[in-house]
This record gives sequence, structure tokens and C-alpha cells, in this order.
Amino acid sequence: MKATKIFDQGHQWYMFGRDPEKPEGIIDTNQYMVVAGNRALLMDPGGIEVFAPMLGAILHHANVDQITDLFASHQDPDIISSLGLWDQALPNAKLHAPWIWEGFIRHFGMNNIQYVAIPDEGHNISLGSVDFELIPAHYLHASGNFNVYDRKAKILMSGDIGAALESSESPLFVEDFNKHIPKMKMFHQRWMPSNRAKNDWVNRVRELDIEYMAPQHGRIFKGDDVKRFLDWFEALDVGIAVQSEAF
Amino acid sequence: MGYVNLCNVITDFADTTSILYIKQKNLAMTTTHTQQTESKFVALASIAAELYSVMTVAWGVSLAAKNAKVISAQSGEKGRGFQPITEFIDEIAQLAMTGVNEINNEALQLTKIAVTEYRNIDAYHRFDSVREKNSKAQYIKSMTPAMKQVEQNMQLSTKIFKKSLSNLTQLLETMDEYMLSARAIASVSRIVTSNAQEYSNQLKVVADDLDQAASYIKDKLSESYQHLNNVKMQTH
Ligand SMILES: [Fe+2]
Ligand SMILES: [Fe+2]
Repeated sequence: MKATKIFDQGHQWYMFGRDPEKPEGIIDTNQYMVVAGNRALLMDPGGIEVFAPMLGAILHHANVDQITDLFASHQDPDIISSLGLWDQALPNAKLHAPWIWEGFIRHFGMNNIQYVAIPDEGHNISLGSVDFELIPAHYLHASGNFNVYDRKAKILMSGDIGAALESSESPLFVEDFNKHIPKMKMFHQRWMPSNRAKNDWVNRVRELDIEYMAPQHGRIFKGDDVKRFLDWFEALDVGIAVQSEAF
Repeated sequence: MGYVNLCNVITDFADTTSILYIKQKNLAMTTTHTQQTESKFVALASIAAELYSVMTVAWGVSLAAKNAKVISAQSGEKGRGFQPITEFIDEIAQLAMTGVNEINNEALQLTKIAVTEYRNIDAYHRFDSVREKNSKAQYIKSMTPAMKQVEQNMQLSTKIFKKSLSNLTQLLETMDEYMLSARAIASVSRIVTSNAQEYSNQLKVVADDLDQAASYIKDKLSESYQHLNNVKMQTH
């Protein structure tokens, strides 16, 4: 598993992914970790299959005891099915995840970690020296879903929003936005169900100062590509698989 | 009359090598089965499934025994020899029902333990691969306490699994002994009923019922052993 430091000013952001040993047939995912002093936050830690390479990669950058907080944007297996294993690796950690998914996520196995239910309007996660805002992104695509915003680093971890389906060898950053569109289009049209929810999110996120938009699949958007993404997404018609219209 | 007394009555009739026979038969069967061994979980769930129908059969026997009691009471002097035997039959049917319940509970418990054990072994291997592949990682030592815990969990769940597996084996063996007794009682019944004159046919039916039920249950037990052997083959 490759680890890339994408921000390092007082606190550090790491992106993990592009695992050459990833088993065939499972979707490639990006996992993120922020280290702030003696604490760390792990975001969308991934599925069971990426647990070992992920933990291995983390140990090059942080102590396991440092990881006090986990965040799951939603309940999907590629996001958090590794929970039963993290539960044994980090028995004292907290998991911040949408309140509506608590009864579902617990099916992955959780005996030690504490579930912190995020209310619909979001809450902040504090790592002591840095605060993270949880931005509501419901229905994009899960009916309870959040992004993580770091105001200091100007990074928005956007979960499945901005995701692209491409090979695990692809570059980390979007280089040519227009060329990137075909890799994102179907994902957003098919997985995102609601134009109303989408536009509501776009308006909320336009208010934020974002330098990096970091999705859970595909590439990171930098600078102006963040604005390009918001414009493109706003204009996109989503929720297309309505039987009578689509087929 | 308790089960111990009952055993004394039937000792002469019981084929004490029967359990060994089943074990040997199963060993032979599992050898041919090795190419397509069912998973541990399927095997354990199958034990409960096999024995589910035993409940109905045992209940039927208990009902027949109660009928037989009525018949032997009606037959007065002629049915006297048959009366204690109807008691035995009812008792053995009750034992079968309780026994099946216990077996089902243990099998269910064992399935749950098997899942926990599976998860703990899986966790151990995943943690171990982290240790193996990242021996030079700066913070690898911070994983030691969790690694130890995972190893302990694995060992503990394996221990509990083996204990429960041996409990289940024990329960199946006891049940098998009950069924041996049942078949012996059926044989005794046939001899006794031949003196019951006009009731002898009705009583013979009860004895045959018992014999059939016992042999049906023995078959089911034998299939359960086969599943259990598959589980044991996958247990190290
Ligand atoms: Fe998802
Ligand atoms: Fe995803």
C-alpha cells in the first residue's frame, strides 16, 4: 500500500491507496489519516481486505496508540468492513459515524471501540490542536453521509463524492479535468440518487475554502479543479436508473 | 424407574460395540468424503438440522407409549408384564426429547463459537502478516500489545471450541446409548406381548413403533457423527 503525505504544516495528512497487492475484483479505495501531535484520525479505513496493508502502511508514520479516532462517512463495506479488525487493533478508539447507520455498522463486529453517533447536522472532531468539521452530504450516496473538512489545511475529504473508477496505477491527482470526466460520470449518475440533495451539498461546499478535495476512490482535485468539479456536478443529472425512464 | 435401572434390564440385549461400529463406519465414510469436505459452519448447522425431525419422532413414541399404558391397563392380568415396559418406553422417549434439545443447543453454541474462532484466527493471520511484512516500520513495536491480545483471543476461542466439540460428541454418544436401550426394550416387549393374547397385536405395534423410531434416530445420529467428523477434520 502506497502512502503519500499530501499536507504537512503543523499537522499531516496522509493518503493511502494504490495497493499493488490488492486482491482482484475489489474496488480500489483511498484511505486518509491525519496526524496532529500525539493523536491521529483515520478516515474511511476501508474493507477487510485492505486492513493488513493499511495497518502496515500506517506503522511507518504513526504509532497505533496515537489513533484515537476513526471516521466512517457511511456504512459501505469498502468504507468500514474492516471494523472488526480495527476493534482489536485499537480497543480504546472512538468511531464517528452517522447515527442512522449505528445498528448496521455494528454488524461488522465492534466489542471495544466506542460508537460516536454523528447527528444529521454534523459535529466537530477535535484532535486537540486541530478541529475537523463534519459536513452533511446525505444521499451522496448513502442516506446518512458526511464529509470531513479541515479548515486549517483547506482539505475536504469528500468520501464517494468525486469518486472515479480507474486502475490502481493511476496518478494521485487530477491532471486534466475534462479527461477525468468520463471516469466519474457513471459513478455519480448511478450511485447518487438525488438532484435536490446534490445541489444542496454543492451550495454548502461552495462556501468552504478548499485547496484539496480528496475522494475515497480515484484522484484528488487540486485548486481550480475543485471549482470545476462543483460546476460539473451541479449540472449533472443524477439518479438515472429509474426503470421507466432509463430502459 | 430411572435410567440406571433401565440399563440393567437391557444389558443383556444391548450391543455394546454399536457406538464403535458407528465411529468406524463414519471414519470409512469421511475418507470417501475428503474431496468435498463441507465447511465447518455447514457441518455444525447440519447437525441441528438432522436432529430436528428426531423431536417429532420421539414425541410420537411417547404418545404410543401412553397408548400402550392404556392398553396394558385394560388387559389386566394378561398385560401385566407389559406395563413396566410401557413405562420404559415413555421414559426413553422423554430422554430422547431432552437429549435432542441439549444436542441442538450445544450445536448452536458450537456454531457461534466456530464463528468467533474463525474471526479470531483470521484476525491473527492478518495481524501476523502486518508484523511479517513491516518488520522495519518505525512504529511496528506499538502493535505488540494488540498482537498479543489477538493471539490470546485465538488460543482461548480454540480452547472453548474444542471443549464444546467434546461436549457435543459426549451428548451424541449418550443419545446413541439411549437408542440402544430403546431397541433392546423393543425386543423385550415383543417377547412379553406374545403372552398378552388378544392385546398382543396392539402391543406388538407399539414395540415395532419404538424399534423403528430408535433405528431412525440412530441413523440420524450416525449422520450427525459424520458431520461432526468433518468438523474434527478441520480442527487442529
Ligand atoms: Fe459508498
Ligand atoms: Fe466507496
